[in-house]
Amino acid sequence: MKLRFSSVKQEQQVWAMIFLFAPLLLLGIFVFFPIVFAFVVSFYDWNLLIPDKPFVGLANYSELFKDEVFIISIKNTIIYTIGVVPTQTFAALFLAFIMNQKIKGRTFFRIAFYIPAITSSVVTSIIFVWIYSKPGLLNYLLAGIGIDAQIDWLTNPNTVLPSIMMLNIWTTSGFFMVSFLAGLQSIPQSLYEAAKIDGANSWQQFWNITVPMVRPITFFVMVMSLIGCFQVFDQIFIMSSGGPDNASTTMSFFVYQNSFKYFKFGFGAASAVVLACIIFASTYLQKKYFPSEAY
Amino acid sequence: MDKLKIIAFYSVLLAFTALYLGPFLFSISISFNADKDVFEWPIEFFPSNATVDNYIAVWEELPFSTWLFNSVFITLIQTVTNIFFSALAGFAFARLSFKGKNFIFNLLLSSLMIPGIILLVPKFIVLNEFGLINSYAGIILPGLVGITNIFLMKQFFETIPKDLDEAALIDGCSYFKMFWKIFLPISKPALAAVAIYTFQGSWNEFLWPVIVTVSEDMYTLPLGMASLRSELLTDWPLLMAGTILISLPTLAIFIYFQKYFVQGVASSGLKG
Amino acid sequence: MASIQLKNIRKVYPGAENATIAHANLDIKDKEFIVLVGPSGCGKSTLLRMIAGLEEITAGEMMIDATKVNDLSPKDRDIAFVFQNYALYPHMTVFENMAFGLKLRGTPKEKIEVAINEAAKTLNIEHLLDRRPKDMSGGQRQRVAIGRAIVRNPKVFLFDEPLSNLDASLRVQMRTEIRKLHRELATTMVYVTHDQIEAMTMGDRIVVLKDGEVMQFDTPINLFNNPQNKFVAGFIGSPSMNFLNGHIHMDGDKIQFRSEDMHFSLPSAFKDKLLPYVDKKIVYGFRPEYIYDKAHEADKQLSEDVKIKITTVEPIGSETYLYFSYLGCPDNTFCMRTSSQHAYQIGDLLTVGVDIDRLRFFDFETEERVI
Repeated sequence: MKLRFSSVKQEQQVWAMIFLFAPLLLLGIFVFFPIVFAFVVSFYDWNLLIPDKPFVGLANYSELFKDEVFIISIKNTIIYTIGVVPTQTFAALFLAFIMNQKIKGRTFFRIAFYIPAITSSVVTSIIFVWIYSKPGLLNYLLAGIGIDAQIDWLTNPNTVLPSIMMLNIWTTSGFFMVSFLAGLQSIPQSLYEAAKIDGANSWQQFWNITVPMVRPITFFVMVMSLIGCFQVFDQIFIMSSGGPDNASTTMSFFVYQNSFKYFKFGFGAASAVVLACIIFASTYLQKKYFPSEAY
Repeated sequence: MDKLKIIAFYSVLLAFTALYLGPFLFSISISFNADKDVFEWPIEFFPSNATVDNYIAVWEELPFSTWLFNSVFITLIQTVTNIFFSALAGFAFARLSFKGKNFIFNLLLSSLMIPGIILLVPKFIVLNEFGLINSYAGIILPGLVGITNIFLMKQFFETIPKDLDEAALIDGCSYFKMFWKIFLPISKPALAAVAIYTFQGSWNEFLWPVIVTVSEDMYTLPLGMASLRSELLTDWPLLMAGTILISLPTLAIFIYFQKYFVQGVASSGLKG
Repeated sequence: MASIQLKNIRKVYPGAENATIAHANLDIKDKEFIVLVGPSGCGKSTLLRMIAGLEEITAGEMMIDATKVNDLSPKDRDIAFVFQNYALYPHMTVFENMAFGLKLRGTPKEKIEVAINEAAKTLNIEHLLDRRPKDMSGGQRQRVAIGRAIVRNPKVFLFDEPLSNLDASLRVQMRTEIRKLHRELATTMVYVTHDQIEAMTMGDRIVVLKDGEVMQFDTPINLFNNPQNKFVAGFIGSPSMNFLNGHIHMDGDKIQFRSEDMHFSLPSAFKDKLLPYVDKKIVYGFRPEYIYDKAHEADKQLSEDVKIKITTVEPIGSETYLYFSYLGCPDNTFCMRTSSQHAYQIGDLLTVGVDIDRLRFFDFETEERVI
């Protein structure tokens, strides 16, 4: 291709337009426009199956907060997030700490802990349906240590949500472990040596050096984990479909059901906007009360 | 005392390994089990009547090959376009000066913080307008380029010394040739990271195909297996054989390219 | 084969308060070896990069071979550039690196090979052609970078501190080689360095820059002997010229330089030029090499006697640097260069004089040379 330009500046301008045309067009259609359009749709009684789409203002929102299932889904989502985020973060840090020791076969262990994270959520969910079923592995193991649970974990309203939470912790802790591992490796070895001379044992070193030094990464991991938890969908869809009796209906599942099962787009969009607001608010709070500054 | 410590340490390590790998090992075991009753305790971890029938059945009794084709087709297209588009855009942001650069870049940056969930309804409406629901285009189009990948490429390009562009300019490169002949060849690690992430994300994607597909012949593998979950509850060996099969590509790629995985996660982690 | 003219060239970076290049006027002749020298931040690299087209020109005209090139992109200026960090393409072999520019210009394969082999022979890198940059030493990479410039056979060679990443002995060797190359290729070359010795040994003419201003554009000898201002006088030469602030005094008919440290009478020939500075501040400058111990140098035409006391003795080998202050005024120290034959000691008192022809005076305000 031969192009002639009157100046270097113009040359860069033209090339930038060529380079960015396709990516920006796609992002425009599937990201930028939808962000704005989501709000617009939420002000309409927009149903795929009904051609008439009247403007209803905030009616979708007021209807939402009168909807018992929506309230339950908010409650479930919050329980889910509060249960998973700290546990997962700590588990990831702990795994990373172990992996950062001088151990034989480090690569093997790293792969082992990371496999759940790269495996399709469908696969892990299906395996755990088997584990959690009444005659499944979990009850068998529990019986082995003398607990005769004999419950079907995924159809019992008291256990369904915690069960899915456990699965989530299991799948993603290995993923965040890798983030922590990078952080751990950047901590100068001399700090640990100084602590050893001061008489700190491994556990004290973990709490007094490792934890404070990886604080920025902890922040990042918690934000990512939080955003993921608030939008948990795959596992709910596959393992419990929100049941029994909405005991495991999370907000994202609620959004899905209303938008794509009942095709109530306006209502669904409104619930997604509320969820997005909650996510923003919580990341903001986290930033405020858990600053990420490094030392 | 030290020996005791080491033993304790490895015990913890092995316990965790069992916890993380155990479920997969059980599912592999079940997938080779000829006996359809997989709840007979104590379970035979190495089934005495081991068979590959379940794996054959996956191909013969299920529309597995159709789903496999769909998954491969979609994943390949999205991976290739993501590599290309994110490199193009990353290069523009890293190396070219143009009007509105900061504005566009900040727009991308803030879009990253938007939870994907609010985009579902608008994306569906847009695709429905074009009649693309339940089509390959409908599944593929929204995932042709990812903002995170653009950032990854931009960050990598910024580590390349500016002297190199200038040498290329003087040698007679246009900006496209500079991109094509200099930047792409020396960015293989970053391109590999983008490829691996996109492949993995695309192969495992569940939510969007669930929304945009209607008929079984458009399902991807994860979606197909999930749809069988309720139907096949009585045939666990078959289900497990299917799940093992769909895990293999990501597993193989991960083990082969693990250093890129770790690098990529590490760099995104430190930027957060 | 090209001349380069800079007409009122100006460079202001967007958002910057001061101009990086205020206004540069240079007339570089065909086949000249020009060195741009100055302290870091003086704008020498910016100036070079503007000639190359890597930096936009804010105002003024840049002419190469009598053609205005302001808006021409680097590739269309027929120049070659050698970078400080070599800027070799890491994924290409030495051969591919050198061939790249020619290929882009559509040179036939056979011609490329001939050109590269010839350049490789000149630079002694024939055995490296299949290597990649990471498998070579800094010196080898620099040769390849120069080779890449040569094969293109450009009108103008531009060098941006090409030797500053090399160790000292290699630097001296490459200096001579680049000079030799210039003789062989007979092409215009512009060379940037911060090292005044490099500048003096290499340049046909030297541009001394300071804060974006051209201080002087002259031959090395002229820069040394006839610096136009205090900056050039201090920058060129090692050890640097000594400066002493004082004023001119008329003692009856005699004209004197006076400072707190010392005073001495000046030849009446200086009278015309120094009269305007009577009772006004002036800077006296004298080079370490033109101060003589009167005990040893009787036959030179030296200035009036002045007494000094040696404070430090630095033997260099062939010669010795003496640091001294004027008797009764220990605050300021100055430097003189002497033969190492004389065994000077710290604390020795000497009577010295400066070669009359080498006395320099600079305006205190403008720093322009008066004498």
